[in-house]
Amino acid sequence: MEIKTEQFSEVAKKALESAQSYAFLKLRANFVHKRRETALSTFPDAAAAQTYGAAIRREAIARLPELLEEFEKNALANGARVFWARNAKEANEYIVQLAKERGIEYVTKGKSMVTEELGLNEALEKNGVKAWETDLGEFIIQLLHLPPFHIVGPAINISVEKVRDLFIEKINLKEPTLDPAQLGYAARLFLRDKFHRVRMGITGVNIAVAETGTLINVENEGNIRFSKSSPRTQVSVMSLEKVVPNLEDALHLVRLLCRNCTGQKLSVYVSMDNTPKKDDEMDGPEELIVVIVDNGRSKIYQDKIAREAMRCIRCGACLSSCPVYREIGGYAYGWAYSGPMGQVLNPLLLGLERTQDLYRATTLCGACKGVCPAGIDHPGLFLQYRAKDVLGEKTFRARKRPGMERSFFRLWTWAVTRPWLWNWGVRTVRPFINKEVHEGVLRKVQGPFEGWFRSRDLPAMAEKTFHDRWRETQESQGRTQEAGGAK
Amino acid sequence: MKQSARDEILSKLKSAPREAVASRPDRPVLKELSLTRDELIEMFSKNLVQETGVVHRVKDREQALEKLSQIAQEERLKKVMIATDDVVAPLNLVDWGKKNNVEVMTPQDFGNRDSYIDAVFEEADAGITGADFAVAESGTLGLVHRRDRARLVSLSPILHIAVVPVERIVAIYEQAIEKVFREKENLASQFCFVTGPSMTGDIRGVQFKGMHGPRKVVAILVG
Repeated sequence: MEIKTEQFSEVAKKALESAQSYAFLKLRANFVHKRRETALSTFPDAAAAQTYGAAIRREAIARLPELLEEFEKNALANGARVFWARNAKEANEYIVQLAKERGIEYVTKGKSMVTEELGLNEALEKNGVKAWETDLGEFIIQLLHLPPFHIVGPAINISVEKVRDLFIEKINLKEPTLDPAQLGYAARLFLRDKFHRVRMGITGVNIAVAETGTLINVENEGNIRFSKSSPRTQVSVMSLEKVVPNLEDALHLVRLLCRNCTGQKLSVYVSMDNTPKKDDEMDGPEELIVVIVDNGRSKIYQDKIAREAMRCIRCGACLSSCPVYREIGGYAYGWAYSGPMGQVLNPLLLGLERTQDLYRATTLCGACKGVCPAGIDHPGLFLQYRAKDVLGEKTFRARKRPGMERSFFRLWTWAVTRPWLWNWGVRTVRPFINKEVHEGVLRKVQGPFEGWFRSRDLPAMAEKTFHDRWRETQESQGRTQEAGGAK
Repeated sequence: MKQSARDEILSKLKSAPREAVASRPDRPVLKELSLTRDELIEMFSKNLVQETGVVHRVKDREQALEKLSQIAQEERLKKVMIATDDVVAPLNLVDWGKKNNVEVMTPQDFGNRDSYIDAVFEEADAGITGADFAVAESGTLGLVHRRDRARLVSLSPILHIAVVPVERIVAIYEQAIEKVFREKENLASQFCFVTGPSMTGDIRGVQFKGMHGPRKVVAILVG
């Protein structure tokens, strides 16, 4: 999928201008937020449940290499095949080759963020294999050639009218309707034929269980189950951080994932794959193939702080809690992962240079951190990324800030650590700044600091500094005391 | 020799700075564990009904068959695909079908995979299966997929009817999982939790049932 993270400001501005999406977003975010709260309240102690989820993910990441080895050993013993891919190219080439060897004309896909990250659909189609997205939202945005707007509802912002017109044009919707259920039914009929004859299904993985070699998918529509039941070949693509120690941990995370994601106690389907189908089974895959994708993660793992981002379980709770996402929606983040989740992941996976705006477009309010069932400290990571970017850390593909800015801050540091100079500077600059003040507030300046004031303002500079006033108070008190003593 | 991707990735991960594995807090206790069986049955039903599932409680096999006849009439079932698992097999549904004018198919009736798949996609008005578990905490059915319970029977037809002996009710997922995974050498190919009908909210957040799987799920609790 095309990476557009550099266009953050541009796309965000466009989204802000669209009044319709703005109103819908707010309504939707509030609704999702309330559903989540209600669902979490079904735990006897919601906070303890969230904390325990975070502990599982922390441990899983700390023990990542051994858990992956254990998972692989058990998956192989169960009869699955395991392929490791260093990067998107290797993963895509392998899957394309699988399809070609089997003479596959098309595949059905379950919604999977990691295959969006890999650009798998494009790779398949370049090689003459049609990839059908079968999650309704993904299906709609695939037909529209749009990126996902939200990790859970990729097409949630598309109007019913637009879906109707799209379906009339692309899937022979016979009776035009504005009823979402009827539109969904048209998609059902269209995709049903694909499921019926599909020979290779591709899905993501929500959780991989080290102890048993089990792959878990969480979904509501049934498209993932179809993609794992109908075809003879099942390809499950997992990014390598998905593994957890055991089934109990997996179940706790499933409980958290569903409550945090859609506000359900459990999604409609939670399917757990252990082995390919047995010889005497009538459906299910004859071959179960697991693709474990690195794509930059082993590099992230070298940094003890940044690896915290790998705890993410992709529930999307941070999206609807985020005051920035609520205003601009998902497109501005420019890649598979949006919202705070994307702001944490994209800079690591794509490098700090081309994601500049992502870790800066934040109020650092910590709403995301507050809802995260994996215990990720998003604001803390944003600050880390900024620091690494300023220092130009090569492993994070950072570029240093512009020379002008660096020189300015060197000078600034030198000046503000010398009180006499600071005080002199304040006195010198004050009349010039206060000339621009209207009604006590400075809203605009000319020159290099213009940008800073685009979304911020400053109060007028006080006529006297704190030190001046302190000295005056001391002096006048001294006089009063002297006067009192004389009485 | 060039290092394999596997070895390269794993060695990179292993050479990274290690962090101590912090001890975990206590696993949160779930309140369902303290419920009586009747309370669990009530909870299961309430939860499943909330997801628009239909729950019937019958006394025995005879009543279960009567209930199935009633459903067949209401839903105008002509052809059904059934599992042959340990719950459904004793019901002798082939005979039941003859009496009720319903053609009863089993996956094993078909000589090969493709013709079974054709039938379960194109012909079956309903799928009837047993269930290994009914999980109270969320109104969830637990289905092991194996020779006598093919995957598409509970997925492809627009109506899924699950017959569940009432003693198979459990409080929480862990109790089901513990049984399914007890024999590590002989794991079922797939295990599924199913909670109500297939669903989506992908168009403007409007929820409706029957996206790709069943639009209706009926659980018949026996006993």
